[in-house]
Amino acid sequence: MTHATSRKLPFARLRRISVIAGHAFTQLARMKVFYFLAIFAVIAIASNFFDLPQHSGSEAMGAEGLDILRLIKSWSLGAMTLFSVVFGIVSTALLLPKDVEDRTLYTILAKPVPRLDYLVGKLCGVLLLLLVSLGLMDILMTVMLQIRMSIVLDVQKSLADAHHWTQAARDSLTHDTLLQGPTWSLQGAVVAVFLRAAVMAAVALLISTFSTSTLFTTVVSFLVYFIGHFQGDALGGPDGSQTAVARHIGQIIAVVFPDFQLFNVIDAVIQGKMMELAQFGKLVWAAAYYVGVYVVGSWFVFSDKEF
Amino acid sequence: MKRPLKYCLLAIGLLAAGGLRPLWEAPMTREFRATGLLAAPVGLDTRDRIGQTSSAVALGGLRTLVATFLNLRAYTCFTDKRWSEVADTYDLMVDLAPQTTQYWDMGSWHMAYNAASDYRIDSSLPPARRREAWREWILRGEAFLRRGIRNNPGDWKLLAALGRLCSAPDKLRDYAAAADAFKAAADTGQALPYVRRFQLYSLARCPGREREALEMARQLYQEPGNRSTTFVSVLFVLEEKAAPSLDPASHAAALFGGPMLAYNELSLFWLRQNERFPVDGVAAALTALETQLVIPKNKSVFTKAVRRDETPDEWFQDDSELMREELYDQQGIAPRRK
Repeated sequence: MTHATSRKLPFARLRRISVIAGHAFTQLARMKVFYFLAIFAVIAIASNFFDLPQHSGSEAMGAEGLDILRLIKSWSLGAMTLFSVVFGIVSTALLLPKDVEDRTLYTILAKPVPRLDYLVGKLCGVLLLLLVSLGLMDILMTVMLQIRMSIVLDVQKSLADAHHWTQAARDSLTHDTLLQGPTWSLQGAVVAVFLRAAVMAAVALLISTFSTSTLFTTVVSFLVYFIGHFQGDALGGPDGSQTAVARHIGQIIAVVFPDFQLFNVIDAVIQGKMMELAQFGKLVWAAAYYVGVYVVGSWFVFSDKEF
Repeated sequence: MKRPLKYCLLAIGLLAAGGLRPLWEAPMTREFRATGLLAAPVGLDTRDRIGQTSSAVALGGLRTLVATFLNLRAYTCFTDKRWSEVADTYDLMVDLAPQTTQYWDMGSWHMAYNAASDYRIDSSLPPARRREAWREWILRGEAFLRRGIRNNPGDWKLLAALGRLCSAPDKLRDYAAAADAFKAAADTGQALPYVRRFQLYSLARCPGREREALEMARQLYQEPGNRSTTFVSVLFVLEEKAAPSLDPASHAAALFGGPMLAYNELSLFWLRQNERFPVDGVAAALTALETQLVIPKNKSVFTKAVRRDETPDEWFQDDSELMREELYDQQGIAPRRK
């Protein structure tokens, strides 16, 4: 079978991409990134012991344990965010230079592999690793929360029994507690962490197609990340003190850089707010839009790049 | 294609894609803000005060985490009794995480209870200054709590906390405000049953609103879970006030489910004079019940020390006065079997 024929086979593109993604995944996994999970486990367990005194007593009515649940979520999602963003940027920034250095890139591009497939494959490899890592961290966080929530619920049940609470009172407190435990919204927040990291990986991929060094790609990507979070203020936050010039600059920034404010729904979820499926869908759409634009941009630069 | 031209085309493409974004991004942001999924952007003032590093972290999408670390800092300030720093830190925390009601609650507690009590017993200050500081910190705590309520409308816990603060025996004792706060909390439909009882207790202590309180008490009495010591005692005094012709002893025995129970529970109520509950008929009922139950003189409730109803004028009379333990309503006393 000729190369031209094989390239036209159904799913051939998908297969090519998955092979490249698998290779990238293996390449990254060998860098011992999963050691971070041990650190994450320590963070998740340690967050159980930061139980600051508060005015408990009778008026707290069994709600004392809720802040610990929030703390576990806050620390865990914070660690996930840090890991995923750092990893998404650094690993993507490393991929192309490493392939050039190992001469793997020449081997691949010598074959009839479209450059878009190569780029998408590499990005999918990074995303796959992020997905696996975040999935493992999510399981750990959920187990931790479930155990702690069971303890809180048991304490509340004893309190309710001792005080002969009505069913309505029990239900009210249980409802508040369940909101702070492992919910579908919380899983949505973990996905939001993944989506934000995916956008950052796509940004790093775009920069690495014309950048000359890994360090440059990493630094610029982090700058893009912070500017993306700064947009809300640049466009006239609560201060309302911007001049017209500052506002115009802010609008230009808003057009060029991604807006990561949307992904801050994570904070609300930590506080017990529920994210609806439609809102989650919109967040996925936002991330897909960004990733799509940056991948197409990467391919546009990379398509006729000479090595 | 030449590189410079390629980069120009890339820039144009990115600008075009960015130009299309507001079509879906702006409504999405508005919707997320409206539903409380997104907080307001971090203000310049907040960024200045949390410092560059924390600001960078907060802008990096970790606002809640920064607030968590600030909570640890606030605890250190609290243990060192650096009250202004406690207040400043909680201000920052609620700027970063305005929907974490616990921060509003804890912040107001530190200000109105801990800081105020600390100044109340601070023997290094003259009485006039102690009184001024005590009052100032209570008001700061109250203002902080009210700001939290404005930021989290419909949160029953903050409203109940405001009610407790307004009705606390060693605070400003604004029972009308407390009744309003407890009512608002109970009206959310999510509050625990004690909140409605606390509304009654505050109402009972508002001069001129006893009739309203009595109607409410009778309504609440229908629910056996409400019949705690305080509740039945309040119902008793309100009925005594409305109909002074009632025989206090038999009225109490009927209401409490027996003379001994009535004597024990009314005795507890009698000793809580610092809480300024009306005590119509209580002394008469206790006297009659002591005779009826043949209580020895040395065991009489009238020989025990009551928690006197003191005023700030007395608290700040001299510097040797020690803080008295405030008494909260004893929640969770099992309802008596009828």
